[in-house]
Amino acid sequence: MHPFTYKFATEPHLAIKAINSEPNAVFLAGGTTLIDLMKLHVENPDTVNDINDLPLSKITEIPYGGIRIGALVKNSDCAHSQIIRERYPVLSEAILSGASPQLRNMATTGGNLLQKTRCYYYRDSSQPCNKRQPGSGCPAIDGVNRIHAVLGTSKHCIAVNPSDMAVALTALDAEVVTISSKGERRIPIDAFYLLPGDHPERENVLSPGELIVGVDLAPLPFAKRSHYLKVRDRASYAFALASAAVALDIENGVIKDSRIVMGGVGTRPWRAYEAERILKGKPVGRDLFKSAAEAGLTGAKQYKDNGFKVELAKRTVVRALTTISEMPA
Amino acid sequence: MKIPQVRTLNTEGGMLPVGSAAPDLFIETGCGSDTVSLSGLKGQVVVLAFSRPGWDPARDELKSAYNRALEQIDGLDIRILHIDSDQQSIQLADRANGAAAEVNVALMSGIDSFGSIAETYGVYGRNALFVVDERGRIAWSFAAPSGAVPRPDDLVSALRALAPGAKLEAAYSTRLTRRQFVAAALATAFALALPAVYTPAYGQGEGTFTSIPPPIATAAEIKVTLNINRSDYPLSIDPRVTLLDALRENIGLTGSKKGCDHGQCGACTVHVDGRRINSCLTLAAMCRGKKIVTIEGLADGEKLHPLQSAFIEHDGFQCGYCTPGQIMSAAALLTEPIGNADSDVREAMSGNICRCGAYPNIVDAIQDVRGNRKTEEAVSS
Repeated sequence: MHPFTYKFATEPHLAIKAINSEPNAVFLAGGTTLIDLMKLHVENPDTVNDINDLPLSKITEIPYGGIRIGALVKNSDCAHSQIIRERYPVLSEAILSGASPQLRNMATTGGNLLQKTRCYYYRDSSQPCNKRQPGSGCPAIDGVNRIHAVLGTSKHCIAVNPSDMAVALTALDAEVVTISSKGERRIPIDAFYLLPGDHPERENVLSPGELIVGVDLAPLPFAKRSHYLKVRDRASYAFALASAAVALDIENGVIKDSRIVMGGVGTRPWRAYEAERILKGKPVGRDLFKSAAEAGLTGAKQYKDNGFKVELAKRTVVRALTTISEMPA
Repeated sequence: MKIPQVRTLNTEGGMLPVGSAAPDLFIETGCGSDTVSLSGLKGQVVVLAFSRPGWDPARDELKSAYNRALEQIDGLDIRILHIDSDQQSIQLADRANGAAAEVNVALMSGIDSFGSIAETYGVYGRNALFVVDERGRIAWSFAAPSGAVPRPDDLVSALRALAPGAKLEAAYSTRLTRRQFVAAALATAFALALPAVYTPAYGQGEGTFTSIPPPIATAAEIKVTLNINRSDYPLSIDPRVTLLDALRENIGLTGSKKGCDHGQCGACTVHVDGRRINSCLTLAAMCRGKKIVTIEGLADGEKLHPLQSAFIEHDGFQCGYCTPGQIMSAAALLTEPIGNADSDVREAMSGNICRCGAYPNIVDAIQDVRGNRKTEEAVSS
């Protein structure tokens, strides 16, 4: 591990001040991604600002019926929270489908949003990687790419976003709340993640020194009927090959509104707007779900080892939609 | 570059000190038809470079960086003209003796750190340099810990002691080739050390890309008091020290195990403020003011925790390496919102890997303590 100076802050504005005063400084929350990558020499910060003492560990009700999940709420607390399980089951299911109980006790809401890809080449500092070392090349495109993305890829990067939580949050129209020396801002989660394009090293719209303080969820009554389905190589403790966060607003057998977001297949959480449009106003039915799933994978680009993901993702979406369409309202 | 095959001809054990005879070895160079042995090079200074497989210190693009580094050493007016890992030589220009004074120093590089010859030299798993004098004795050596390269600062100070004009303390004292020896040692030492501080341009050379982890360096120590098993331990540690390493290396509580060191196997599981976590992915500094419980603190004096007894009762282990983590994980599970079925236990224990495959008995032990009988479905699976 590269040597670093360790600091900790007790107030958000002090954390911002600290990170802006040092070059090559990072925030440290749960550490499950950062410390892992520091051991691999993928992350080599000179200063580590421990933010675990900041008062951001609560889930609170906010005006107009929504809730705020503090950036330091542990994944396990979020998943087991009564209010989350009742109002936003897709989020609880998504979090519980990821990692292990130990890791979920450490990982935080803000940290999970920023978790790094599991691309083998990104994690191996002896390999070129445009995300880790811009301009060095992408060995995954012609290499071993079974776990890589089929949606949102570019000629510079095909790394998949690994988060389950972010997929569910995208289905819930979450807003990421941040502070920086310029003040507070709210970023709709669908505008939070960037496609790799020519700059895979830029994964989101956060500016240097900007701190996530929480995630806001607006009331979304039909999210009670939501579900996360994750398909992976093992029954547990594995990253998604394909996943779907879905929610359906059904009235008298007709779909009024829906959310369909896919994980494990995109370079970012992949909201299938076209699939949602297809469902709108139509009666629930398997064929309808199939055509929605088909639309969701439009533009998918297959690589040597990951072609199976296209069909797998479609079936995952169909099964997830079928499951919730059969749930009692 | 093709990695030369290395075979040992001498199998004495132990770390070899300066002044001792260098065990013979030979390497096959280039296409494998040429063999160079250390004994065949007697009468010359030879630099031996042990490194990780695949690492080639002799890349031409590093040459200017080596020379910039050599300029840092006072009183040494040597330039590297060429390092050739195929021909296994370092070509130097000794500018103090006129521009024409070219010197060739024999190099035996690419010797596998994980091979038998590294074992013979007592540097297994380490990047190491030996300078063997013309009589076949080790004149100088340097070894860096596994996965690391020498610190440039250390090398500079070590090599300054050998530079012309410096007081000679090493066993080495042959004046005729001393300058060659110093230069060769410097050149190769920097060749191995520099990747840590010098990043080559991408896409150069033969399209190969090599990197070496940054050098071992230390950060300013910080003071942290850890409360472990109801006792306070004031520590002064490098901020990089993980909770797991603090427990095992600083405090001597070796019950928590290091399996993968990346949060994947669960062998390091401990409780922090009543919750199970992976101590390998937690910095010790993050645990200021928190209550840590390890496997050593789980029992109540001589009275075992019910899960410890149940693991014995149900034979919940074979080799035992994962067991402390399994038990700490299981003990925390008792207070978590987990369903009653065996499948719920298996899911909740998925962060603890057991190579021996003691899973069925581990599930039995946990269900016994929870008061749940094993279900038919689980027995048949």
